[in-house]
Amino acid sequence: MDPSQTNIVEKLALQVDSFQEGFEILSESKSINEMAKHFATLLRGNFLVTDVNLFYKKDSDATWKMMYGKKEKNTECLITNNGNRMQIEYDLNEDVKVCANLPLIDNSVFGITVGAKLDKSDFTEFDKITLQIFLQLLDNAYQSFLNRQKEKELIFELNQRVLQLNNLIDTGIDLSKFENRKLLFELALQRAAVLTDTSHALILITKDEETTDEILFPPGMESSMITGSENKISASFTYQGKEYIFTLANKESRTGAAEYTDLDKLLLEAIARQVNAAIENEFLHQEALVKERIEQEIDVAASIQQKVIPRELPKIPGYDVAGINIPSREVGGDYYDCIDLGDDRFALVIADVAGKGIAASLLVNTLNASLYAYLDNKTPLPEMADKLNKIIYNASPSDKFITYFITILDAKTGELDIVNAGHNPILLLRENGTMQKIEAGGVGLGMFDFGVPYEGENLTIKTDERLFLYTDGIPEAMDESEEEYSDERMEEFFLQNKTKTANEFVDKIVKDVKSFTGNAEQSDDITVLYLIRKN
Amino acid sequence: MLTDFNLTSEFKNNALIMKTSGYINNTAGEKITEEFMKHKDEGVKKVIMDLQDSKVVNSIGISYLIEIIEKLNENKGKLYFTGLDPTIEKTFNIMGLFTFAEKADSIEDALSK
Repeated sequence: MDPSQTNIVEKLALQVDSFQEGFEILSESKSINEMAKHFATLLRGNFLVTDVNLFYKKDSDATWKMMYGKKEKNTECLITNNGNRMQIEYDLNEDVKVCANLPLIDNSVFGITVGAKLDKSDFTEFDKITLQIFLQLLDNAYQSFLNRQKEKELIFELNQRVLQLNNLIDTGIDLSKFENRKLLFELALQRAAVLTDTSHALILITKDEETTDEILFPPGMESSMITGSENKISASFTYQGKEYIFTLANKESRTGAAEYTDLDKLLLEAIARQVNAAIENEFLHQEALVKERIEQEIDVAASIQQKVIPRELPKIPGYDVAGINIPSREVGGDYYDCIDLGDDRFALVIADVAGKGIAASLLVNTLNASLYAYLDNKTPLPEMADKLNKIIYNASPSDKFITYFITILDAKTGELDIVNAGHNPILLLRENGTMQKIEAGGVGLGMFDFGVPYEGENLTIKTDERLFLYTDGIPEAMDESEEEYSDERMEEFFLQNKTKTANEFVDKIVKDVKSFTGNAEQSDDITVLYLIRKN
Repeated sequence: MLTDFNLTSEFKNNALIMKTSGYINNTAGEKITEEFMKHKDEGVKKVIMDLQDSKVVNSIGISYLIEIIEKLNENKGKLYFTGLDPTIEKTFNIMGLFTFAEKADSIEDALSK
């Protein structure tokens, strides 16, 4: 090594700390502008120059942009395209003593021009080597700057993913809280727009291909701006005949429009599904509320219904009487009563409203109230049946009517004044073992209002004879294979149990029916009124 | 690009107060940054952003806010947010904005800091 070279190496060795410090300063730059400014300061300090200009271009096709300095025209010496090679020229003219091109890792380029030294001396070999080292430091610092930028972008992207996940979870929770459909849609649009960096969003609701509603984000714009956009994605669902079409238009980026990604599509579909679930849940919730209200009404109706069923029957001198009403799960329409009319006269009534539920319960109450009014007035039974028929006909829908049997017993004589308005035949078991079926009367109350009069019938119940009033809940009771208990079995039971007291008979026939139906659900009310003449 | 965004600004006690309304997205971010840059070279060190009337912000809008925070930090300045909707506050937390920016209860509270 010749002495001059040794001298340069020694001088460079002394500069190591300075180079290291220079690199640190350049590396800490927050922007390219700041890096250019720091680099210019390094050159000015090291080479004792005042005229330092730095230029930058994003790629070889771009135009130079001045980052630092005053001489914008100095770009003339800079090379348009020099590949990836650093190039430095010296002593170009009076003003430009150094002109350097520094291609960078991302295909961008730094251009540097330096004017004359303050002492007008030329750039020495040592200066030239130092400059090369500085340019290398600038190159490294730029790479470090890019890495930091990438690291920031990566952290931003990771945070964004966490945010998207969080947002999606929150959206599902938030959407489930809304009962106001419009607010729900607005929130869904906001969240979808945010999740996908979208400018505009729309929910179009259609029924039979006709638009019934549209919700826009931001509010106040024309939906055609979204539907007409070329940069858009959609997702949809159909619920109860309506189609809900979600459209996002104009994905944003810092550099202008961006293309929607598969992730954006997934996010939009997720939001649409969440809205679908929220609407469905809201509907089911409303349905449950309605059901709950109806059940409450049914409970009220059932308690009213039970109030018209007698808790205790009056004692009839010389007779044994018992009754029972077992309502089915729903509010039933069966009714029975035994009313003390005074003077040893008693009214025995049994009725069955076609159908169940609150309407049936109301009709039973109407019948009960009307019946008491007419019994007080001692209205003849056929006339009473006519009047009740009119009342029930006017008070009930066309599919509702009441089968009704009434008999007024003169307890002293055993005389029975009877009307059967469409009810099952009432059975009278004579002392000699024959069974008489009492059917005469007319059609059920409320079926027609043709003015056809009801016909009464008069019979006498003698000692040891039995009157069996029942509703169709007994003969039509079904077992699990849907086989009916039947009139025949009921009549046979009646014949076979003629020695039982009234209470025993009622208990036993109920047990027999239950035994027959087994685990099958009771489908209809069971009502029995049983009268035995004892002397 | 049609937007519902609006920005107003004023200077008070050497602080730049920017009030936004509407969706903070790319267009809004550009407007906010443009307004900030007008005052940056004048040496503004305290910026208060009142987001009372902005309930929605996307990540592009956030990237502009981060840029402003960084530029202020370079000059030893600080950005304060007020009127934050809970959803936006959560978003800013997740995106790390409060590492270098602060939230304040009101503009007056931010001015007093």
